[in-house]
Amino acid sequence: MNMLVEQVRADLLAFSRRPETLFFTVFLPVIFLVLFEAIFGGQSVTLAGGDVIAQSYLQVPAFMVMGVISASFVALSITVVNRRETGIFKRVRGTPAPAWLLIAGQVVTSLVIALLMVIVMLALGSFAYGVRVEIGHLPWLVASVLVGAIAFSCLGMMLAALTPSTEAAPPLANVVVLPLYFISGVFVPVESLPTWLGNIAALLPVAPFVKVATWAYVPATTMPWRSLGLLIAWGAIGLIIASWRFRWTPRRD
Amino acid sequence: MQSMPAAISVTGLIKRYGDHQVVDGVDLEVQQGEVFAFLGKNGAGKTTTTEILEGYRTRDGGNVSVIGEDPATAGAEWRAKLGIVLQESRPLGALTVKETLRLYAAYFPNPHTVDDVVRLVGLEEQINQRAGRLSGGQVRRLDVGIALIGRPELVFLDEPTTGFDPEARRQFWDVISGLRDLGTTVFLTTHYMDEAQVLADRVAVLRDGKIAALGTPAELQALRGDVEIRFTLPPGLELAALPALSSQPRLTGGEVRVETTAPTADLAVLCSWAEARGLELPALTVERPTLEDVFLAISGETT
Repeated sequence: MNMLVEQVRADLLAFSRRPETLFFTVFLPVIFLVLFEAIFGGQSVTLAGGDVIAQSYLQVPAFMVMGVISASFVALSITVVNRRETGIFKRVRGTPAPAWLLIAGQVVTSLVIALLMVIVMLALGSFAYGVRVEIGHLPWLVASVLVGAIAFSCLGMMLAALTPSTEAAPPLANVVVLPLYFISGVFVPVESLPTWLGNIAALLPVAPFVKVATWAYVPATTMPWRSLGLLIAWGAIGLIIASWRFRWTPRRD
Repeated sequence: MQSMPAAISVTGLIKRYGDHQVVDGVDLEVQQGEVFAFLGKNGAGKTTTTEILEGYRTRDGGNVSVIGEDPATAGAEWRAKLGIVLQESRPLGALTVKETLRLYAAYFPNPHTVDDVVRLVGLEEQINQRAGRLSGGQVRRLDVGIALIGRPELVFLDEPTTGFDPEARRQFWDVISGLRDLGTTVFLTTHYMDEAQVLADRVAVLRDGKIAALGTPAELQALRGDVEIRFTLPPGLELAALPALSSQPRLTGGEVRVETTAPTADLAVLCSWAEARGLELPALTVERPTLEDVFLAISGETT
């Protein structure tokens, strides 16, 4: 246990001292939310059921999800590839430290950052944009963020396992995630997408995550169980491929 | 007298990559407390052998015992007795010396204190500096510090000083000498003979996956005990024009070299021959070969 605490402490320290990851993971989603609120904050959206709500109710959870994905998927995969290619994983495998420690260290670190993102977004939404989550829905929000963060950590491990080099890690992670933000209700409300595109996006991992998290802000009559199930399924796929292709040593070995 | 069990014992070690036999029947034994240098040029199989001993790679044949266990099957308890410095690995640049050592200390059951290790590797002044801002030599010393934090019985160092300037190398050698005083067994690979000469109790030279020579630095030196007479060939002369000597002279880059067991007689012949023709033999020297020369000859490099 002490080992895990030390590992997470060191990983968090290292994370906080890398300005580039700090910017892309923590500040970028916040900047996006502030900009989107400035541009679209006053607008309303008509939901599928006919209800009209302020767009802020969709934007706050959407950028919260973006923050969580940045921490668990983008930052995680980049860090894991970096640790592998610089020989740090290989080196630690030569100590008595168990293999799970390195994975747990990374995942717990990304969960901590994801949680931080949730708190920042909750506070910003509530105090700056008047978008509140009912107390009764907070447990759902926390649970869905946790499930989403773990699922995307698994997908992040999968991406890391498939990424050949340190240089390739940041562009690969962003190439995967940016288009998904567009078609999954982060940058653009799903209501304004062509049906076929919305249908495809609904099967990919980002849209279900947005849907599950948004439910805490805009509760519909039906619970988003299907989306939650999809999210978990994607996490499982990520985990299977990650454990199949994962390596501790640099590519050149 | 009952001797202590060997720290490392290897017989008939074989490793293949495809059709290529990289390690081809290596036998060696390293005693406890010994500093053992493993030499060879790049591609001789040094790192492959070392990584088999460290448990990173599997082998295709032979028996290996490292502090009493087979590295292929040994577990965490065994790894707690090892300290490993890999050939290519950098500590996390964002963490300080102290933070790095503190993290690695958490991996081991009975670690040294961070301060003790910092003193041992001479990084007192850099203790709060981030690893990313250390010089190459300092990073390598931090690497050794990481390897020492768990109180290892046996330390592996894979080409630790490659790319160092002479000052950094000397400082590094002091650190390794300090390890010997602690009674730690050291297995060092290098392609610098002078390093082996300064640090090692015994040296093995690897060539094409086989042990080409094994012994103390003095024993290796004795393998080529010949004295060498060297001079620059005077202009306008052919090698064939020289008088008959006890062995055949060689010409390399305008320099004549005569390996001889009778240097006095050969010198007398050479000098009277030159004097009779009114010739001067430029840059005339008589030398014992250095260990470097011996190593280059054994490892198959041309001088």
